[in-house]
Amino acid sequence: MNYTVNGEQRENNGAAVTVDEILARERVQNQDMVAVQYNGEFLNKALFSSTGVKDGDEVEFVYFMGGGQGRT
Amino acid sequence: MKGFTTRAIHPAFAVPDVHRPLRTPVYDCVSFELESAEEMEAAFAGRKAVHAYTRITNPTVEDFEQRIKSLTGAFAVAALSSGMAAISTALFSLAGSGDNLVASKFLFGDTYSFLKETLAGLGIEVRFGDPLDPASFERLIDENTRALYLETVSNPLLYVPDLDSFSAIAKRHGVALVVDTTMTPPYLFDSKKFGVDVEVLSATKAISGGATVLGGLIIDYGTYDWGKNRLLAGYAKKFGPFALISKIRKQTGRYLGGCLAPHNAYLLSLGLETLALRLEKACSNALIAAKYLDSHPEVKIVHYPGLEKSPFCELAARQFPRLPGPVVSFELGDKESCFAFINALRVIRRSTNLHDNKSLCIHPASTILAHLSEAERLEAGVTPSCVRLSVGIEEVEDIVNDINQALEPRKIF
Repeated sequence: MNYTVNGEQRENNGAAVTVDEILARERVQNQDMVAVQYNGEFLNKALFSSTGVKDGDEVEFVYFMGGGQGRT
Repeated sequence: MKGFTTRAIHPAFAVPDVHRPLRTPVYDCVSFELESAEEMEAAFAGRKAVHAYTRITNPTVEDFEQRIKSLTGAFAVAALSSGMAAISTALFSLAGSGDNLVASKFLFGDTYSFLKETLAGLGIEVRFGDPLDPASFERLIDENTRALYLETVSNPLLYVPDLDSFSAIAKRHGVALVVDTTMTPPYLFDSKKFGVDVEVLSATKAISGGATVLGGLIIDYGTYDWGKNRLLAGYAKKFGPFALISKIRKQTGRYLGGCLAPHNAYLLSLGLETLALRLEKACSNALIAAKYLDSHPEVKIVHYPGLEKSPFCELAARQFPRLPGPVVSFELGDKESCFAFINALRVIRRSTNLHDNKSLCIHPASTILAHLSEAERLEAGVTPSCVRLSVGIEEVEDIVNDINQALEPRKIF
């Protein structure tokens, strides 16, 4: 299964992976200052552990302290 | 949860610094170096938690924002260059041409003019209601209303709106409740408890501690569904409860450019550490000064919600359990009596501003409200016989003695 995290390809051949697990794998800093987008839409924190990533999915972590324009 | 001052002095959040300073230093620089082109790309896409450019974010400013977040229990905080920068940035984020706001008719003079002239000139209608009659606000709400806008205590007459009622109305109609808490900053007023969705305030006043620098705050409590606001719905779809803060960071705050200077953020963080101590002393002094003024034969009326005879005493005790702030207004016979009083002061200084360590005095009708028409001033209840005191932290007997000697009847030549 292939999916992207912040635009970079990731491969997963093992068990299904959740957004919660991706946050841990990617070592996302300052989690209370990050918005998680799942296939282009905001994902509520309560759904992190129950949202399984499927082939072709896109996960984005967007911070509000960075200098960037973001993708609005 | 630890006490207010403990949290102000020992913030849970610390900006990483190689020297491990006990106080976040002033990062007095415009931009920050990134390690690679890839990191720059990630930073500009918001994918990396780094600072790039001080107009958008800065570590010293972030430290101040995080302290405010910890002290208020807020969801997100943006610090700006002044109280008016906070108010204008917040309202430009919420409303556009064709929308309307329902606001108190007893607002700080510059806020009132900003709403009535600047926003109206851009096609944002502002409908003014009576903050002492919540139903008057409710009657003005329609499908294009984006927010109710109030102050916790009006300036200079210290009217107190019932914020539970306004919160209920805002929720019933699905509009945001935006409240300016400058007169009763965090420590005196708990916005979260009273259903405020967005708090705005001038940090220049009580927080700066000694009137050293200007600053403003937008505090989002994460309680309003920004998807209901047509200007924020797109942000809400992508960023959920971060919608307002993301629009401020990516658009309104960024383009209006009212960023807080790092040095000012440093002084505001320092001020936060003594905020509770200073407010305790200033409010205690204000109550004593108000009682003294109330007992003086030359004084016609005293406006202070902490006085038992005030019509707002019970409501103020509920909303501001530690006292309703250090500002006291009172009425003398006429403008000449007010000027004679102000000119006779020896300790209290003749100056605008509020919540300085120094006690300050001003004649509102001829100064901070001089740009309003006489009809507008009278509508706000401000007459030429009104004097406003912002009581400081001096020994209270010095304040009372100064008021006493300045009230002595004197001939006017």
